Amino acid sequence: MSRLIMFYARECPHCKAMMPFVERLENEEKVVLEKLEVWHSDKNADLMRSFRPIIAPKCGGQLRTPTFFNEATNDVLCGEVTYDKLKEWALKAS
Amino acid sequence: MKKFWRCNVCNDIHYGVKPPELCPTCLAMNAYVEISSEEAGKVMAVTKTTMNREQFARAIAAFTEKNEFEVNPDKPRVEMLLDGVMANEENHGLKYCPCRLATGDFNEDLKLVCPCNFGIHETYRGKPDGECWCSLFVRRRP
Repeated sequence: MSRLIMFYARECPHCKAMMPFVERLENEEKVVLEKLEVWHSDKNADLMRSFRPIIAPKCGGQLRTPTFFNEATNDVLCGEVTYDKLKEWALKAS
Repeated sequence: MKKFWRCNVCNDIHYGVKPPELCPTCLAMNAYVEISSEEAGKVMAVTKTTMNREQFARAIAAFTEKNEFEVNPDKPRVEMLLDGVMANEENHGLKYCPCRLATGDFNEDLKLVCPCNFGIHETYRGKPDGECWCSLFVRRRP
């Protein structure tokens, strides 16, 4: 199973909006997303920054939140997306 | 490269690649002389200002008044974003966007300071329902 990461920020409304989709995905598809808050955790921020060469080109050149990242395949999704798109990303990755 | 310029009439400070012809403060013409960052800092330090959460909220509302965008009418959303902006200033030094992580490169990260130059972003430019990345600002609807 690939490591699936959701980089999010505590005060990011887009991240908040995606949380129900993430919960539904975990329940229905039996996948687990590692949810890492990046503005209040230096460790998580450094991890996200370490993936900047992979993430930024796919997210308008920036480290946006939320970013959904598969560490094994380098598949990236960023911003608010539909449940189906999130599911496609997760299942493609697993 | 941006430099500091001082109006020799009223001590208005300008930071830019060239001096303004007209001083916006005292309306003097061709009054700016290049100065050092140290001098600029001393001149500006005379005026003490604060910018707490309420003051920032008022500042961004005033900022939108003559523009084609407004502060998002969704007040709980705005409160959440202001929480993030102010927390980032306290924890990281500047009012960074709560929805984009700073890279660690100071000059690069100046692009994330709220309000950012969202007019060029794909979430805003050319979109009737455009908004800045975090959605603090939205295009004004008729």
